[in-house]
Amino acid sequence: MSHAFYRKWRPRTFAEVVGQDHVTQTLRNALKHSRIVHAYLFSGPRGTGKTTTARILAKAVNCLGDRVDRPCNECLMCEAVDEGRAIDLIEIDAASHTGVDDIRDLREKINFAPSVARYKFYIIDEVHMLSGSAFNALLKTLEEPPSHAIMVLATTEPHKIPATVLSRCQRFDFRPIPLEDMMARLRNIAVHEGLEVQEGALDLVARQSTGSMRDAESLLDQLSSYGGGEITLAQVQTMLGTVSSQAVKDLVDHLASCDVAAGLGQIGRAIADGADPRQLSKELVEYLRGLLLMKTTTLGPSYLTEEQRTEMARQAKSFTLDRLVSTIKLFNQATTDVRDASRPQLPLELAFVEATLSPEPDMESAATSHSAPGKKPPKRMEGEKTISGQVERRPSRFSQEAEAKPAPASVKEHGGAVTAEGAMAPLKRLQDNWTEILAAIKTSNRHVEAVIRDCPPASVEGDVVTLRARYPFHKEKLEEDRSRKLVEDDISKIMGQSYRIKCILGPSAGRQDPERADEMKSLAEDPVVKAGLELGGEIGGVQ
Amino acid sequence: MWQITGHDWVVTLLGNSIAQGRVSHACLFTGPPQVGKTTLALNLAQALNCDQLERPCQQCAPCRKISAGIHPDVRMIDLEYQALLREETPAQQRALRIETIRSLREQASLKPFEGQRKVFIIRDADDMTSEAANSLLKTLEEPPSHAVLILTARDARSLLPTIVSRCQMFGLRQVPTNLIEKELRARYKVDEERSSLLARLSSGRMGWAIATAQDDTVLKQRDDTLRQLALLPRMGRIDRLHYAEHLSRRAGSVRETLELWLGWWRDLLLIRSGCPEMISNVDLGPALEEQAAKHDLKDIVGVIDAIRRTKHQLELNVNPRLALEVLMLDLPSDSA
Repeated sequence: MSHAFYRKWRPRTFAEVVGQDHVTQTLRNALKHSRIVHAYLFSGPRGTGKTTTARILAKAVNCLGDRVDRPCNECLMCEAVDEGRAIDLIEIDAASHTGVDDIRDLREKINFAPSVARYKFYIIDEVHMLSGSAFNALLKTLEEPPSHAIMVLATTEPHKIPATVLSRCQRFDFRPIPLEDMMARLRNIAVHEGLEVQEGALDLVARQSTGSMRDAESLLDQLSSYGGGEITLAQVQTMLGTVSSQAVKDLVDHLASCDVAAGLGQIGRAIADGADPRQLSKELVEYLRGLLLMKTTTLGPSYLTEEQRTEMARQAKSFTLDRLVSTIKLFNQATTDVRDASRPQLPLELAFVEATLSPEPDMESAATSHSAPGKKPPKRMEGEKTISGQVERRPSRFSQEAEAKPAPASVKEHGGAVTAEGAMAPLKRLQDNWTEILAAIKTSNRHVEAVIRDCPPASVEGDVVTLRARYPFHKEKLEEDRSRKLVEDDISKIMGQSYRIKCILGPSAGRQDPERADEMKSLAEDPVVKAGLELGGEIGGVQ
Repeated sequence: MWQITGHDWVVTLLGNSIAQGRVSHACLFTGPPQVGKTTLALNLAQALNCDQLERPCQQCAPCRKISAGIHPDVRMIDLEYQALLREETPAQQRALRIETIRSLREQASLKPFEGQRKVFIIRDADDMTSEAANSLLKTLEEPPSHAVLILTARDARSLLPTIVSRCQMFGLRQVPTNLIEKELRARYKVDEERSSLLARLSSGRMGWAIATAQDDTVLKQRDDTLRQLALLPRMGRIDRLHYAEHLSRRAGSVRETLELWLGWWRDLLLIRSGCPEMISNVDLGPALEEQAAKHDLKDIVGVIDAIRRTKHQLELNVNPRLALEVLMLDLPSDSA
């Protein structure tokens, strides 16, 4: 059986390792100046070249050739490593040898001198899976191994490695491979394998692999089985279940015009033609992200042609920034939703319907809703000065919140007016200022404020303010000399008239606490409470 | 002959790679349940071991042995296999454990007994514990030259990215409805009306359609469930809570019930959005139309969300009765 591309084309020299110059250059210099240390840690996402680099390093330190730029790939040692029969290269799969006994075994054997090579080279792959005690058993060896030993630890999850291990290694972080580098490498492989691949197909393969060379090579491998002439973009799309960019564009048009029927119809057709719903939502998110960039920077993503750019600019105009953001959020949610295994198109359909639904209801509730600020008509006037409304809009969002804040106070005023009939004007005045008084008390003494917050004023007679405490504890606290004086001072200061306070014990009636009353009302709307009421219960109180 | 409906592109790719003798040592089939992943895996195992030129032939001894599950070089690694290994019952197995994968590694190092390749089919690889998955990595990347590993999973994202990147991945999509319909009629002699209904209800899962075609109780149960669902909006809260209790008692069927509800409400969504031709419960069209008229889109979306939430909660082991009761209260009533 021939090897998979990612094994066949595994780089054999540092120069062939793609996109990791910061690692390979450092290692090459270290080799040149004989400054190789005894422990390395290679970390990075899948398919970026960790194991490969470790093997090349193993060849380089043991290479018998007299070239400066090692490995030579010609000498006996290099060949032995390439063929996987080098006796002094020990590759340990830490994920299946996780225990402390495996490490003890390593410790025992590492002391024997290498049998043929210069160095005994250990590659501990997937090292994040070692157990805690295994890591600890490794510490001493890792710090001071015998002079003939070099260890490379490789992992995709460096955060699982104990700090004590990290500090004993030279760490190299491998990065996701840039698109251009990946394309160049794929092109190279395609030429050597005698494959003809359309540029667009190659581009999709590279994009799909999100920085992992192995993923890209696997895909190319898979594509090579199509056989018979050039590999086309359409073939890649069939394989990956993606749809054409035209279909995505149309879908966004339907989204812009809120045409649910056409949109759902198109989703249905795409899926019947073999599209993968999740891929489709991913593409939609990617496209909408392009629109977002278009809207905020006016330039848009760099990979566009002029034609696409004008088209996207047109579409970007038909969305407000807020709608665009919430739409992206909806579809992004659909790509990560794994709950509907047996009906995979449902999340996408739902996201589409919701995305067309949201504009209208938001208009009404924009004033209070924090989730959809910016649908309010006056907003648009503030934002109209610039195309990139983002900067201008942000402060207005805050100002809106600030506007919203006094709202409860006005509700309170209203509630107070209902209870205070004419003669009770001082009480109403006190209630109006109550928030301010609380704030003043809070600055002088937090504890007193915490207590008095639960003791709303019940009545004002002359210069005596009566507070209604719910618990004896609160009453006692407030009647202490220190706190009473504090409260009296603050009330007097803010009301501009001297008051004394008196505390009585009693249930705080919802009527006197408008916030509570609102809470009660909204609670009664809750379906569970509603059902409870229906079953014969009643609301005893709100805690 | 590949015995699979739909997934033509997969068959083309695999067929070509078999003909060229360059099948990958690790394949991953992902897709919704019962869409044909295991069937495809078994077909691939047959093709790898088939004696004839036109592989898989389904006639020769290796092919027949594999489809009967008695080929010594083709091993299905799943919870059942693990149960045998651990001398327990399949019901006791929660996840594929590291010992099972270790046993796979050991067996993989042996030469094939009579076939050409040793094939290991790891079914529902997303059932692997994280330890098991990690211990598979090195073997999956560079197995012995005579071994081929085939993984199936519902979703590639529930696997380690390091596993996925080592395999040739084939993401199986839903089989088109008309294909299922044709297949049901041709091979399983299902009449026209029924095959059309089944094909639509299956939402692209051929295996489900076949199983349901051969088992009348499933459809009957569906009718019952949907009839009760149609009554729900008219029920008061107390009756609904009783119904929730009744449902939660029939432990196994809760998920299927919710699945049916989801299908029903999705149809309402489609009708309400103006795509009545896409609905799946085609036999109940009038009832759907009638109910759709009563709700607006926003309510329907809300209900679908509530049902999905409940489904999710049940998977997280929430008390079924409690979850269902909340769902019942979320369902709109006719009066409201």
